[in-house]
Amino acid sequence: MEGASYQRFPKIKIREVKDDFMKFELRDTDASIANALRRIMIAEVPTIAIDLVEIEVNSSVLNDEFISHRLGLVPLTSERAMSMRFSRDCDACDGDGQCEYCSVEFYLRVKCLSDQTLDVTSKDLLSSDHTVVPVDYSDASSSFDNTPNKGIIIVKLRRGQELRLRAIARKGIGKDHAKWSPAATVTFMYEPEIYINEDMMESLSLEEKTELVESSPTKVFGIDPENKQVIVVDPEAYTYDDEVLKKAEAMGKPGVVEIHAREDSFIFTVETTGAVKASQLVLNAIEVLKQKLDAVRLSDDTVEADDQFGELGAHMRGG
Amino acid sequence: MNAPDRYERFVVPEGVKKVSYERDTKIMNAATFTVEREDHTIGNIVRMQLHRDDNVLFAGYKLPHPLQYKILLRIQTTSQSSPMQAYNQAINDLDKELDHLKSQFEGELAKHTRDY
Repeated sequence: MEGASYQRFPKIKIREVKDDFMKFELRDTDASIANALRRIMIAEVPTIAIDLVEIEVNSSVLNDEFISHRLGLVPLTSERAMSMRFSRDCDACDGDGQCEYCSVEFYLRVKCLSDQTLDVTSKDLLSSDHTVVPVDYSDASSSFDNTPNKGIIIVKLRRGQELRLRAIARKGIGKDHAKWSPAATVTFMYEPEIYINEDMMESLSLEEKTELVESSPTKVFGIDPENKQVIVVDPEAYTYDDEVLKKAEAMGKPGVVEIHAREDSFIFTVETTGAVKASQLVLNAIEVLKQKLDAVRLSDDTVEADDQFGELGAHMRGG
Repeated sequence: MNAPDRYERFVVPEGVKKVSYERDTKIMNAATFTVEREDHTIGNIVRMQLHRDDNVLFAGYKLPHPLQYKILLRIQTTSQSSPMQAYNQAINDLDKELDHLKSQFEGELAKHTRDY
């Protein structure tokens, strides 16, 4: 016996895609799906990050655990992460997480020999796998200065100081530790629908219109320079602050503007740390959510156990 | 000091079932599903999907305690359906919705990468 399907067919419209940023519209679904995707992008899409550090020599000013922590936070390119194994369920190594299926090895060997301070950066980390390397931010198109990119500074060394270590990077998720989170920010907002009651608006003087337009802390409304009418400039700048509605009420004109949140339309912004591309992050999130749903399907023995109990129950009820 | 290990939040311990099912003793067609190592992400989407089902009279979930890494999902249906059937249907529908979402996203992405 199969019931009717209540499936929805959501729509997506991409507005902007860059490597580490994207903006898109999600329609014809509800907030639970939008929020599930947001939560998963932040906490459950896997990436690779340094998880174990063996320090051989450290004569820098920072202590061993401080450096280990900083290494863990360095974003590593993680396109491979979805197909990689978690070291806890890797059977190639006995859970010590040091095999090629579940880990990547890094070496860092730096010594300062000059009188100038030496910056140890993520570029000094040597990877055993060319697909998993510290994220390179140098080709970011919006570079605000023209200083040569040197990666992420880990520690600074003075003459004679040395840092030598071996690090193991593993697959993990943001739920375990934030260093594995691929997301810098993921947000969604309801799409606002703004109606201007033109008849009522006409009863306002130009000063009143200007006052109303300026009551909004963000630039949602404007005044048409030609016919001096109040127009909606950017509905998405609205932050649901109700300031304009309060102003309208204070002016004795409630209902001159009406604002509704469309509860089936969402505008997403996704920014990543560079570990995965923004577009890939969304796809991975959908994939992870599918896997999670699959994992919560009822197992056959649960269904069987209920069938027996069900008959017994029916019997007891006199069925 | 006595904080639970971080992996406790998402690794189902050995010998524990991911989903267990308990029929209500007093109410017909009502049951509680206990889903181990899941949170609002799954709880809320399944609940909202169940609300779309006309045969579902009640569907709700709770996270009993922030350090008990499980959710309880309670479903009551009409006699035309059963909690188990409604639960399976909700998961199948969500799964299909995500398949659709994925193909939509890939299609849109292909359009945008061509524009580059």
